[in-house]
Formats: sequence, structure tokens, C-alpha cells
Amino acid sequence: MLKYIPQWIVTFKNPLLFLLANLIAVVSFAQVTVNGKVTGQDGNGLPGITISIRNTNFGAASDVNGNYTLTADIKAGNYILVFTGIGFRNTEASLKITGNSRYTINSQLSQDALGLDEVIVTGTSAGTTRRQLGSYISTVKADQLTKGATSNVLAALQGKTAGAQIIQNSGDPAGGISVRLRGISSINSSSEPLYIVDGVIVNNSTTRVTNTSGNYDGSNFVGSIGQNRLADINPADIERIEVLNGAAAAAIYGSRANAGVVQIFTKRGASGAPVISFSTNIMANKIRKKVGVNNATIKFGGSPDAFTQDIITLVGTPAALLTNTTPVQRYDYQDYIFHTGLGTDNNVSVSGGTEKTKYYVSGSYYFNQGIVKNTDFRRYSFRSNIDQTINGKLSFTLGLNYINSASNEKPDGNSFFSPLNSINIIANFHDIFTRDALGNIKAVGERQRINPVSVIEDIKQREETNRIIANAGLKFKPTKNLSFDYTLGIDNYSQNGKTYIPPFAYAANTAFYGGGLTLDPSQNGYSSTANSTYFQINHEINGTYQANISPSLASTTQIGYSLQYEKSSYMLLQGRGLAPFIQTVAGASTKLDPADARGELSISGAYVQQNFKFKNQLFVTGALRVDGSSVFGKDQRNQVYTKASGSYVLSGAEYWQDLGVADWWDLFKLRVAYGESGNLTGIGPYDRFNGYSSLGYLGKTSFFSSSTLANTNVKPERQRELEFGTDLAFAKNRIGVQFNYYTKRVNDLLINRVIAPTTGFSSLLDNFGSLENKGFEIVLNLVPVANKNLRWDITGIYNHNRNKALKIGQALTLISTNAGAPVAILEGQPIGVFYGTFFAVDNNGNQVKNTLGIPLQELGLQTSPLSYTPQRNTAGLPSGSVLRKVVGDPNPDYTASLVNELTYKKFNVRIQLDAVQGVDVWNADWRTRQGVGNGKVAEQEDKGEVPRGFVAGNYNIEQWRVDDGSFIKLREVSLGYNIGKVRNIFSGLTLSLSGRNLISWDNYKGYDPEVNAGGQSTILRGIDFGAVPVPRTFSFGIQAKF
Amino acid sequence: MQRFIFKIYMLILFAGMLVTTSCKKDFLDPSKAPEDQLFTSSAGITGASVGLQRVYSLGRASSLYNIISTNGLVTHEVFLLNQGNLPEAQLSFGGGSVDGTNTMLAGLWTSSNKIIYDANKVIKATSTLTDKGYASGLLGHATVFKVLSLGALSMFWEKVPESNGVNVGFISNTDGFNKAISAIDSVLAIIAANPISSTFTSNVPAGIDIVNTLQALKARYSLFTNNFTQALTAANAVDLTKKSTLNFEAANPNPIYDVAGSNFNVYQPIDSSMGLPVGLQPDLADKRVPFYMVLSGSTASRFLMKGFSGSSTTAVPIYLPGEITLIKAECYARQTTPDLTNALSELNKIVTKKAANDPFGVGADLPALVGPLTQAQLLNEIYRNRSIELYMSGLKLQDMRRFTRPTSERTRNLMPYPFRERDNNTNTPADPTF
Repeated sequence: MLKYIPQWIVTFKNPLLFLLANLIAVVSFAQVTVNGKVTGQDGNGLPGITISIRNTNFGAASDVNGNYTLTADIKAGNYILVFTGIGFRNTEASLKITGNSRYTINSQLSQDALGLDEVIVTGTSAGTTRRQLGSYISTVKADQLTKGATSNVLAALQGKTAGAQIIQNSGDPAGGISVRLRGISSINSSSEPLYIVDGVIVNNSTTRVTNTSGNYDGSNFVGSIGQNRLADINPADIERIEVLNGAAAAAIYGSRANAGVVQIFTKRGASGAPVISFSTNIMANKIRKKVGVNNATIKFGGSPDAFTQDIITLVGTPAALLTNTTPVQRYDYQDYIFHTGLGTDNNVSVSGGTEKTKYYVSGSYYFNQGIVKNTDFRRYSFRSNIDQTINGKLSFTLGLNYINSASNEKPDGNSFFSPLNSINIIANFHDIFTRDALGNIKAVGERQRINPVSVIEDIKQREETNRIIANAGLKFKPTKNLSFDYTLGIDNYSQNGKTYIPPFAYAANTAFYGGGLTLDPSQNGYSSTANSTYFQINHEINGTYQANISPSLASTTQIGYSLQYEKSSYMLLQGRGLAPFIQTVAGASTKLDPADARGELSISGAYVQQNFKFKNQLFVTGALRVDGSSVFGKDQRNQVYTKASGSYVLSGAEYWQDLGVADWWDLFKLRVAYGESGNLTGIGPYDRFNGYSSLGYLGKTSFFSSSTLANTNVKPERQRELEFGTDLAFAKNRIGVQFNYYTKRVNDLLINRVIAPTTGFSSLLDNFGSLENKGFEIVLNLVPVANKNLRWDITGIYNHNRNKALKIGQALTLISTNAGAPVAILEGQPIGVFYGTFFAVDNNGNQVKNTLGIPLQELGLQTSPLSYTPQRNTAGLPSGSVLRKVVGDPNPDYTASLVNELTYKKFNVRIQLDAVQGVDVWNADWRTRQGVGNGKVAEQEDKGEVPRGFVAGNYNIEQWRVDDGSFIKLREVSLGYNIGKVRNIFSGLTLSLSGRNLISWDNYKGYDPEVNAGGQSTILRGIDFGAVPVPRTFSFGIQAKF
Repeated sequence: MQRFIFKIYMLILFAGMLVTTSCKKDFLDPSKAPEDQLFTSSAGITGASVGLQRVYSLGRASSLYNIISTNGLVTHEVFLLNQGNLPEAQLSFGGGSVDGTNTMLAGLWTSSNKIIYDANKVIKATSTLTDKGYASGLLGHATVFKVLSLGALSMFWEKVPESNGVNVGFISNTDGFNKAISAIDSVLAIIAANPISSTFTSNVPAGIDIVNTLQALKARYSLFTNNFTQALTAANAVDLTKKSTLNFEAANPNPIYDVAGSNFNVYQPIDSSMGLPVGLQPDLADKRVPFYMVLSGSTASRFLMKGFSGSSTTAVPIYLPGEITLIKAECYARQTTPDLTNALSELNKIVTKKAANDPFGVGADLPALVGPLTQAQLLNEIYRNRSIELYMSGLKLQDMRRFTRPTSERTRNLMPYPFRERDNNTNTPADPTF
């Protein structure tokens, strides 16, 4: 490729000279007016269509009736008038400027079901149309984002973009959401895509400023739980989102695009009178389904206060389960911790401008309560976008977004003092509300567990984020063929969290910050304050040169340079043994180790990209990119990434007309794309350094080496993605089909693999392995009915992905996790499978049971991680050593969505179903509920419907915790009534009623299979351990325009 | 036009400046000390040695928690209260339930190897120090933890790694104890030549009497390898009035109390039998029982641990003076020509000891045993007294094997090797069947 650098690229070496040479142009101008009417296929006028004169900066938009008027200072000659509008194919008309000053040109636009002529901004200044793309990029528009009764941009994206699995990991009001584009693309680092808002790389990390317990190391033991910072983005400001699924599409972002790119574009002003938009919504959130609780009238053993864990606890010598019983009253604590949360979402924006100055300003207030009492999320957001044209050649833009978001929380699921776990870990025969003479709530049973009332009423956690996202851009177009642009982005936030656990009035476990059996005042109670600050600045400079080599061959050349710098710091103050009434750390008699973590990294890269376009049918693009990141070893830093893509629009060729299919077959496009990307933030800023950390110990300095040994010359992972696809449209674009097949492989995979402890270390961080994702995506768009009064749109999306660890440096890496989930990475298996002990079965597949009828664990001889031979003793019961196999897989077989949207006159109905099928969930909570005696299997044991010892027998067989996580959800329903113009007060008024997560069809034994106690972790998936279920939400709203 | 071009020049220049000014790529971690620098400073080496104590004794992943808990669960000293604690439950069930996934065993294996790895670095670095009294203190301190780690591996596994490294070979646990003994010998010689300076002592946590600890550990491991003459000599070198402890504070609590002692959800003492069979159980008047446990008043567990796990700040002895006396008694009883008189006399020091006469307050305060006793009777009483005097100190499994107690009294004899070792070291020996 390097051998054939065209001559004009060489002359391009000095862009300034080139630019200046082109500035000298002498022309003579005259003012002309062009007007006309734009209509649709039904003959009605189309509003909001952009009319522009190609290769000039002159343009206008059609009004509500489809009429437009455009004035331009142009010289005489032949021009092309271009009509563009969302959902319509671009249409061109020729315009010949002679001596006249007025021209009339009408146009009829046809629908564009696949959005083929939409402008896609693939990270470069010029933009391109979907027609030209060699790779699949999906676009989601504003109206699709705001109908789903959510104010989280990622939740709003659920089910709307092909190739994405978007999971709300927690039902908390700002619960974390993870996005996987075409599967997991890393093991060591986050698999979340890169998020870009108006050119600013925005941080989406999950930083633990609350739940600061020292037991939480935040790595693979617990996961990455909490709010991810995209919660700060207000969906009402968004104009559209482009999703680039993989390296083939996203190679232009080279460095950081290994998990795909999500580009968010916010609304901008248009010239004209100011438009004031106002919307207000009220929301109600409820728990969608409660789990069944034990209703047996007895418990085993004696008094609840003295013997709470009656189902599985062995007593005496020899140890045995108690069989005597005591009558008890049962409670349903779910009625206590859950309530109906209310919320409101208010947005106001003003946009408008003149020919040269355009603005969009908005303000937003959002407040929403969680379904767990005393939890909420509140967000203030202000945005201003200004576009200023300085002259015909130069323009700049400035965007500022200030956000303040705050939430009242409860401890997260991974602790036993979280709302859900506090009721999961106790039997339901305790009267949790009784108080002693002093008004203190009492212990629940004898095991120093936390009373749910303490969690709901006493434990307080709050976090608050102040954030500014700013972007500035400069565009310079010295000639009609050449343009430069520069974008500067800054993302700066500080996130503060406070935790307060008052001293318990009863004996609470020291592991839960209680004072133990003695109510030790030096241990009882906890307070912390944590602060995370983050600063990111990125610069992007691009130059684009477009040239028509011949009438049928056009060329676009781009070069660019980008630089990113990040600085973060995290501070934690904490202490236990709190003085009464004091909430701050100062009141702690025992100061715990503080944290002070700092990080700095920089990434820079440059690229050159060349595109050829032949007759608007054949498009070929090639690119080269060099990137370097400070996190990697000096010798490995700079890496070269390549990209190539091509697309051929067969239906655009002359011969297509001769085939005789053109009247029913509108579009046939084939495309292929190949791209490479790195993962330049694949390890932390200092992860490659080996050294000794220090903490004070008993008043002295102590140093200790890390458990991980790092290769100091570690290099970035390299992903190679190949994508084939086709776009088809039939029946006057009323049927659209898009199909993508991809294979992506990550080599030099960074793994912190387990090594023999005799080396002195537990793990080694290096480029060990490889993984792959293969799959396909189908997007179907149908418009069965489209007439003057009724329009019916159907969109179906089907995603199929197969993930596999190809090489991980060893046969098995088994990760021990806080939730007890035996998460494994096994060669030849999907990443993150559950690998554990399982039930013994006979030749017919029936469970082998002991004489009491209790299932048994399989035993025998394990010959390799994936092969074993079960053994039986003379009694026919399992014998030998413990066997393990893959007992569950949290990666779905497929995900799918179906959207039906009907518009009848002023009514609009939209219904979205999302399906995730063939997925397993590690249901730790369900098993705990049986063990402590509040679940339905425990009830059967209490009632004698299963043998005594049934739960205890099953309890440690890990397969017992694997549950069917497949579901189909009624994700979004919205009903809208567009009143339209109301006198002279509103130019538009719409009422809407919407719902989210209304129904789930599943066989799951817990609340909701769509959950993950591991939060946004890459490897810990599908774990249900105290996570708050995703609520059912109803929303009523009014949208008005003035 | 000219002004306009100038403006553009300035803008591009400005953008270029922004881009080029922050192109730095070499950032260093301010929170870590590079190894090559750390071991060149005496403060750094000292800190690394204090780090060994921290890894050995702090938290649920520490060697101390895993030694005492594993031993206690396997030998029935303690009773598991909630089988939701999976690794503890596996050890409590024992036999085939314990396998290479057990996180307590993996934790002990990992922390022991880590301590040996870093202790060797400290030991090597001490040779560069010019203050010989300081260097010998540092050497002694690091060696205490290295030797305790070698001892822990040797007590729970049949074979132990011969060194640190990739694919290391294994030696018998007897050789493991011998390795510990020779490490002690070489350090004692150096300390004899250059006594430990008080400057050093003030730079490490209080509590550890290095010389007495090294002699006590030498006596312990010599006894475990049946080298009775050597054990007796070392035991006689221990000053029985001195204490040597791992100290704790509220912010860095005693791990046994923190995890188990403070609640009824992990384990507590089995009962006043201390897990011993009929015939060996403590005398009802034995005051060591109320030293080690107290009636809880709850039906959750009849007893609550006390002794060296009674509060978050309770210090844990590295060895008890009583152990040294019992070592003497056992050496006399077992030596090639048994000296049963002296054996009984040493044993009676323990049987009759009053709490006030023990630095830690451990005292049976029982009437003396009346002789003569046969060797077998003496050894039986020595085992019984070791089990009571050294309750929950982590030594009982080794004692059960040494005194050839029936396997029915324990749930496992020796531990399987952690999978993380087996999967990554082809020299890992086969697991014992029990």
C-alpha cells in the first residue's frame, strides 16, 4: 500500500502552502432566490427537509407545508440542488443559474427505509453517507430514545441497535448499565465501548465512592458495581446516536475502538425564530414481581431468636439436623423494603439562530426514586451549543454541558447489609420491627446479621457528581475541495461519596461494621468519604481533500492526528468505631487505611485514509493508523493498524435497470470491511510497573510486593475484524433487510493469568492469548401500511454471537468471586462460564439420590478440566474425587428485538419487545433463601414435602444455583396523542403515556434474570447476588413547543 | 484578506501548541517503590520485613487465619456454624470434599510462598548494610516469618517446594522443617556475632523477641523431625519468662476474632472437650478450658472463643512457653534412652502451672501426676496437654500424626495441593488420598 502513494498526497505534505494557494480565487457573485415545494409519495408537503446547493454553503429548510425559499450569492452556471431529510432518500435536481433572480424547483421524495443517504460521521470531519459505507453503522434518533420511560441514554438504547447487548445490571435509580458490542473483546479490561459526545471522549467508568468496604477489591472478586458515568448524559439533548460495532467500522478510532464506538450527537440550533420546547413527565416505579416466601407455620429447632438458620445448620455431636419444630409467624419483608418510587423529568430548550449564528440551549431537572425505600437519583443538566459561521470559509462551534447528579443509595448487593441481601440472609420468622425499651431495633436471630430496618432507616449512602463536558471545534474550508477541522474536548468531573453506618444497638458482625458479640465500641459503626476526580482532554485535527479525478471517479483523502490525556485521582478516608451522633470520619475511633490512588496516561495517534468513489456505486477505502499509549512498554508503544473496506451498490449500476427487477427490488448493496484496533487503555496507567506498595502497620512502615507480576514490556491487544454484509430494499423501499456477518479475533490478549504461587506471585500480566467472537446480525424494516392517515412500521433485530477463549496460556483459569460464582475462563469455551460441581445422574439422566431421597454430587475421576469419568461404589452411589464441568453460560445464544410502531392520524403507538435467549444466571440469592429458610424449597422441607436435609444436601452442589435466564420482555410501550397547534399558545402539543419493563416472560426463579451483581465487569456476568431488580416504570408526559 | 489569513495562522498555531505541549508518555507510579531502589535503603528493607509480618498475620487471607482455622476445623477443635462458608465447610467435612479449589489452602500456600520470596530478598539485602547490629535484627525478623512459612507448608502438606521459581521441585516436609532449622542456625550465628541493636527493635512492631522465637521454632521443628537432642538443646535456650507475640490494634484486628470470634456465623470452640476423645478430655478442674473459651449464654454455640482470639486487639503468641516445656518433656520421653523421670517432671510443670506463673496466663492448675508412668502413658499425657495447652494454635494436626492418633479423630491427614500450583507446575506431587 505504501508503494503507491499518489503524487497529490506528496504535494499535500505542507498543508499550509497548499491551503494558501487555494485561497486565491477571483469570482463574481449575484443574489438569486430559489423556491418550491417538497412533497412525499402521498403528495403531502414534507416539513424539515434540507435543501442545499451542492458545493456551496447555501441552504434552507422546508416549512410545515413543505414550502421552501433559499437565497444565495452565486455566480451563473450549473448547480445541483440536493434535498435531504431523515427517513427519505436524497434527491437531486439540477439548477441552472442564468441571468434571472428567481427560480422554482419542486421535488418529490421517496422513503429511505434503511437510511441509506443519511450522513454518518465516522469520526472524521467530512462525514459520509450510509450508501458508501463498507461496514455496518447503526443510527438511533432522538424520537426513538425518548419514548421508553427512561432518562438513561444507555437504557434508552436497549433493543434499538443491532449487535449490541445492553444490560441494566441493577434496578437502582442510577443503576449501572453495560453495553457489549459483538461480545466480550477483552479479558483484562473493560469491554465497554468508547463513548464520544460531540467529539469529546467521555468517561464512562464505574468508580466506587460509596460501598467503600475494604472487603471490596473491585477486581474480579466483586466486579465493577455502581453507577457508570454515562448516567450524567441527558437523553433529551441528544439528536442522534451512531453505533460502530467493531474494529472494521471503528478503525478510525484505532487506539481505543476495540470494543466499538458509540457516538452521541447533541441537538443544534437551526436558523429561524426561536423555538421553545418544553416537556414534563411524571414516573412511577414499582417492583415487577415479588419472589415467593416460606409460609410454613413451623420452623425446625427452638426459638427464632436462638436458632435462626434452621434448615441447614448441623447441631450437636455427631452433628445432625434438628427435627423438632416450633410454631412461628412468617413475614414477607419485601413489603417493607420496596415501595412505589415516584419521579419527574423536566426539560426546556430554546433553539434558533440566524444564517451565521445558531444556538441550542437547554436545562433539565430529573428526579427519580428507586423501588427500594430511601433511594433516589437526581440530575441537573444544562447545555449550550453554539455554531458560528465567521465567513464562507471558517466556522466554529462551542458546546458546554454542566451536570450535577446525586443519588441517595443503599449498600450494594455484594454485602450482607444491602437491602436485598439483608432480607435474603434471614429466615422470615423474625419480627424485625420490635424495639426494646430504649426504642432500639433488635437483632434478628443469633447470628449477628443486620436487621433490614437498620439498612432502610439507618445506613446512609450518598454520592454526588459535578461534571463539565466541553467541546470546541473549528472548521476551515479554504476551497470547495479542502477542509480542515480541529476539535478539542474536555471531560472533567469530581465524584464524591459518603457512607454512614451508625453504631448498631445490637450485636452485629464485625464484617458488617458491627461491634461483634461484645458491641466493641472501637469497631461498631463506619463512616467514609471518598472523592474521585477525573480530567480528560482530547484534540483531534483532520484535513480532508476531495477531488473529482474524472466525472465518474471521486477521491477523498484524509489525514489526522489525535492526542488524549487523562489524569485521575481517588481518595478515601474511612474509619470505624463511630462516636454516637457523628456522621463524619472524624468521629471514628479506629481509623482504617486511607486510599490515595493517582493515575496519568496519554495516547497519541495519526492516520491517513484514502477513499475512492466510482459513480456513486462502488466505494473503496483504505487507511493506516499509528497509535501509542503511555500505559504500555516503551518498545511496544507505537503500533500500526490498518483498515480497508469496500461497498458496491449493484442496484445503482446501469445494468440493474436491464435486469427487470428494478420495479420491485430497489436496493442491492454488498459490502466488506476489515479493520484492526488496539486496546490502548487495556491496562491501568501503571500496571506494567513492578514494585512495592506501602501501608502503615502497627505504627511502622510496611512494604509488600504485588500479587501480580507484570511484563514491563507489555503491548496492546490487537483486534482484527472482518465484516461482510448486504443491504437490500424491496417494494418501493417498504421492505428493508440488512445482514452482517463478522468474525473478530483479538490477539496478544492481555491476561492476568494465574501462575504457580511458588514463583512468589499469584498471577502474571502479559500478552498471553487470543479470543474470538463470530456472529451475524439481521435487521428487518417493514412498512406494511403507509397512507395519509395510517402508518405502520415494523423493525426486527436479531443478533447471534459466539464468543470463545482460544488461548489463555493455561487450560483453566478459575476465578473465585464474592457471590460464590465459580467463573471460569477455559480454552475453547465462552468467556465467563460457570464451572463447578454438579448433580450425579444415572444413565437415563435422572438424579442419583441417597436412601433418603436427597440428590448427590457427582464424584469420580477428573482427567482434564473438561473431561471426567463418574464412578459408583458398590451401593451404586457416587465415589471418588469431586468432579467439575461447565454448568452454565451467561453468554446468550441470541438476542432479538421487535418494534411495532403505528401512527394513525394524531395517535402514535410504539411497542418494543426484547428477547435474550439461551442464557444462564448464577442465582446465588435463590439458594441462600432456601438455606436460611425463607424460600419455597425450604417451605417444602418445613412441610415435609421433601425429605429433611434436602436443602442441605443440595446446598453445596454448585449446579443447584444455575438458573434459566432466558426472557422476552415487553420493554417499551408508548402511546402518544399529538394535539398539534393549540391556538396561538402552542405550535405543537403532545401527550404521552409510556411504560418500561412491563412484562417479562421467563422461567427464572428470582426477581429478574436481567441483572448482574458483578456490575459492569467484563468477566463476571449473569450473577444474581443481592442486586436490586429492574423496576416496572410508568410515565405520563406532556411535550409542548412554543 | 491578509488579516484573515493571519488569524487562521494563529488559530492553527494555537491548536498545534495545545497538541504538542502535552505529548509526554513517561509517567511513573507515585505509590510504588521500585524493587531495585527499595532494597538499597535500610528503611526500605525494614519496611519490607514489616510487610512480611503484615502478610503473615493480617486478615482472612493471612497465614495466621488459615493455619489456625484449617487446623481447628480438621482436628475438631472448632465447630463450623454455617456451611455457607464454603472453604471452611469443605475442611470441616474433610476427606474428598477438600480439593485444590479450597481458597483457605490456596491462601496459605500463596501467602507462605510470598513471604519466603520476599524474606529471601530482605535477607539478601541485609548483607549490604554497614550497621551490623541493625542488619542482624533485620535478618532475624525476616527469618522468623520465613521459617514460620516453611513450617506452615511442612505441617499441612506432605511435600513442600524446595525454593521459589518457575516449575520448582519438591522436597519432603521433613526436609522442609530441616530447611527451616538450618535457616535459624545460620541467623543465630550471625546474631551471636553482632547482637541486635535497639535501633532496629524500635523500627519494627513491638512484640517479637527474635532470639527466643528462633530458638523456640528450632525446638518445635526439631521435635517434628524427631531430632530430640537438638530440640532439647534449643528448648533449653528459650527464656520461658519472655513473650513473643504478633500484635494487633483496632484498625488491624486479630483475624481469628475478626472473622470467627466476633460472631456465631463462622466457627466457635466445639465445646469444653476441646474436640478430644473420652479419656483425653480436659479435667473438669483444668483452668485452661476457661482460659480458651467462655460460656456464650446463647444456644447458637455453647462456647465462645477467648484465649488468643477474645478481642480485636488480642495479641497472638508465636509460641507459648508451655509448648517449650512440653517439648522438653517429650524429648526426654522419646530420646534414644528415655529419661522418664525428667519427662514427668517437665510435664508436671505444665500440669501444675498456675496462670499467674505463665507470661500469658495459661495455667492448668491441677494436681501433679503421680509417677511412675510408662513411656506410652507419658506420651499420652503429653499429647493431651499439648492439645489443651496449645489449643487453637495450629499445631494439633501435626501432633495427631506424630502421636499416631486414629484418623477418625480428624477429617484429613494432609492437604491436597492447590490447583493454581498443580495447573502451573508439572512437578506438583500427587495428592494424598486422605
